[in-house]
Amino acid sequence: MFSISSEAKVGLFVLVGLIILGYMSFRVGEYGFGLKKGYLVSAVFDNVAGLEKDASVQIAGVEVGRVEDIRLEDGKALVTMRIIPDVKLARDVTALIKTHGILGEKYVEIVPGSEWETYLEEGERITSVERQADIDRLLAQIGAIADDVKVVTTSLSNVLGGEEGEESLKSIVRNMRDMAESMNRIVEQNDEKFSTMLTSLRNASVQMEKTFSSLNEITAGINKGEGTIGRLVKDESTIDKLNKTLASLQQITDKINEGRGTFGKLIHDEETADNLNETLSGINRYVTKAEQFRTFLSYRGEYLFDTSDAKSYLELKIQPKEDKFYILGIVADPRGRRTVKDTTTGGVTTRTEEWERDKVLFNVEIAKRWKDVVLRGGLLESTGGVGIDYFAFNDRLQFTFEAFDFDTDRDPHLKAYAEYRLFKHLYLSAGWDDFLSDEGNESPFVGISVRFEDEDLKYLLTSAPIPRD
Amino acid sequence: MNRASTAIDNLGRSVLRNVEEMGRILLLFISVLSWMIRPPLKLRLIFKQMEFVGVKSIFVVVLTGIFTGMVMALQGYHGFRMFSAESLVGSTVALGMTRELGPVLTSLMVTARAGSAMAAELGTMRVTEQIDALSVMAANPVKHLIVPRVIAGVLMVPVLTIVADFVGILGGYFVGVPVLGINSGIFVKNITRYVDLDDIYNGLIKAAIFGLILSLIGCYKGFNTSGGAEGVGKATTEAVVLASISILISDYFLTAIMF
Repeated sequence: MFSISSEAKVGLFVLVGLIILGYMSFRVGEYGFGLKKGYLVSAVFDNVAGLEKDASVQIAGVEVGRVEDIRLEDGKALVTMRIIPDVKLARDVTALIKTHGILGEKYVEIVPGSEWETYLEEGERITSVERQADIDRLLAQIGAIADDVKVVTTSLSNVLGGEEGEESLKSIVRNMRDMAESMNRIVEQNDEKFSTMLTSLRNASVQMEKTFSSLNEITAGINKGEGTIGRLVKDESTIDKLNKTLASLQQITDKINEGRGTFGKLIHDEETADNLNETLSGINRYVTKAEQFRTFLSYRGEYLFDTSDAKSYLELKIQPKEDKFYILGIVADPRGRRTVKDTTTGGVTTRTEEWERDKVLFNVEIAKRWKDVVLRGGLLESTGGVGIDYFAFNDRLQFTFEAFDFDTDRDPHLKAYAEYRLFKHLYLSAGWDDFLSDEGNESPFVGISVRFEDEDLKYLLTSAPIPRD
Repeated sequence: MNRASTAIDNLGRSVLRNVEEMGRILLLFISVLSWMIRPPLKLRLIFKQMEFVGVKSIFVVVLTGIFTGMVMALQGYHGFRMFSAESLVGSTVALGMTRELGPVLTSLMVTARAGSAMAAELGTMRVTEQIDALSVMAANPVKHLIVPRVIAGVLMVPVLTIVADFVGILGGYFVGVPVLGINSGIFVKNITRYVDLDDIYNGLIKAAIFGLILSLIGCYKGFNTSGGAEGVGKATTEAVVLASISILISDYFLTAIMF
């Protein structure tokens, strides 16, 4: 009897299994590679609650794409959709979010527009967006309407309802009746007075008629050139003078129009306008620069425990931009400044170190800030060095590390401290100065500093030429 | 008093025994691993076991899968009808089969069919001293008897699971579309919409781990049989019970990790 080997059976079985797996993966992953070809358009909705990634995008109920991404943009939801390439969207389509049934899932419906000349391109945005009539919103609106109606009926019932309301309605009616009666009475009582009033009105109109006829006479006189006004109007020379005045006025405006004369040139010259524009923008630039420009003055005193001495810093921080500043400072260090002298006598080099105690040291640094980190570099205590500051708690707390005085024959001067803003202008600091020192300069310290922004200094500096970087 | 102390005594003894057993199974697993990577691999033996574990289990797995899918469709339909969401029956069946029921039911069926057979076979070899004879002939019994079975279990259970997933979904379709009258397009559409590739693949990873568990426990129980024909029967029963419980418990933790 013909028999199939177990290898063949196993192989066939595995093959069948793999084919089924392949088929299922293909069906399930259909949209995975089927839709990647489409183009992306986006729309901004107020609320996309319930809309999921991969939700369907439909036109007239036919799926034309999927929601690719939902993100927040300026407090609204930016929905990016991938549309299959053979569907073109007119530029004035409307996008709205709809729900399948009452409890069904949300999808994006696109209502076709009417403008068929141009189509939306990759990455463009659908500008027309409608709010969907979802159940939540509908219920909320019905609730609001019911509330309004209730307020109206409540106040109506307050006014009209109850005995009080009834009473006031009654009194209104009663008052109206009284009023009509009294008017009637007035008319009856004054019948005679009314008739005399009418008679005098008639007399007045007769008087007015007479006044009008004499006015007529006066104007006729002016017409004929009688009297002063008449002569002025009728005299030919007056009109000539007026004509001449108008003509010279015309000449002046013509000149100005043609750009002749000083005034004309001023108005007509393009250069003038350019100059003016430039001047204005220059002033503008200068003012904004001056406004950005900030200057800070600070004093810091540090008490060094191990040497029982105090170190003082006076610093001016010039900040032309938010993330960039310069520091100029003077440091009074009781340890003074070290100078090294090499003297060669007879082939033997002796090195003498001196500390000048009264010497003042300088800080000249440039600094740049990235988020919470400031990197500084330049002269620190009159020697080359770098520093890094890290700010925390909205700049309340500052950690600083400085390294300077690099010298081949001894360790550099390292300093680390933390500074905390106690009040608006008052800072407390604590740290460790020169902690690598091999000469016993190493000391922990506490310090206090005062720092404030100096507006006057700023304008003093900006009125001088602005230092360029 | 005496009885209580005996009870505590027995409890401690059984805990110790179980811990010891777990340790032995793990040691067996390690020795299987070490023998697996040492050539030559006995391909003939592996294919024989693969045929036994895989090919010969197709019928029972297909039956299990198809009826599971059908009953899920039927039950799901009654639930979803309350919300007018009958169209979700397809995706429920498909997700249930690929993620959970496919791997678990397949491996339980294979345990019952092949795991028990492994225990019985190895147990008989042990009590008739054939395993000792193998050792005497300088043929390592782990390499010759256990490694092929474990490899067959790890490789074949996932393939059987694919078949079970597929026929399960087919069963659901046959109940859902012609019998219950769900629209066939929507039925298939919802399956492709809600089932991810990851659902299928994670189910297969589970199946491979279950295959390892059932073959390892079956071999362990058979390999350590003692006490004649009665011992063989006991070993077979224990193998099926322990493997089934281990599969169900590990299924929970695997699901928690994967999904």
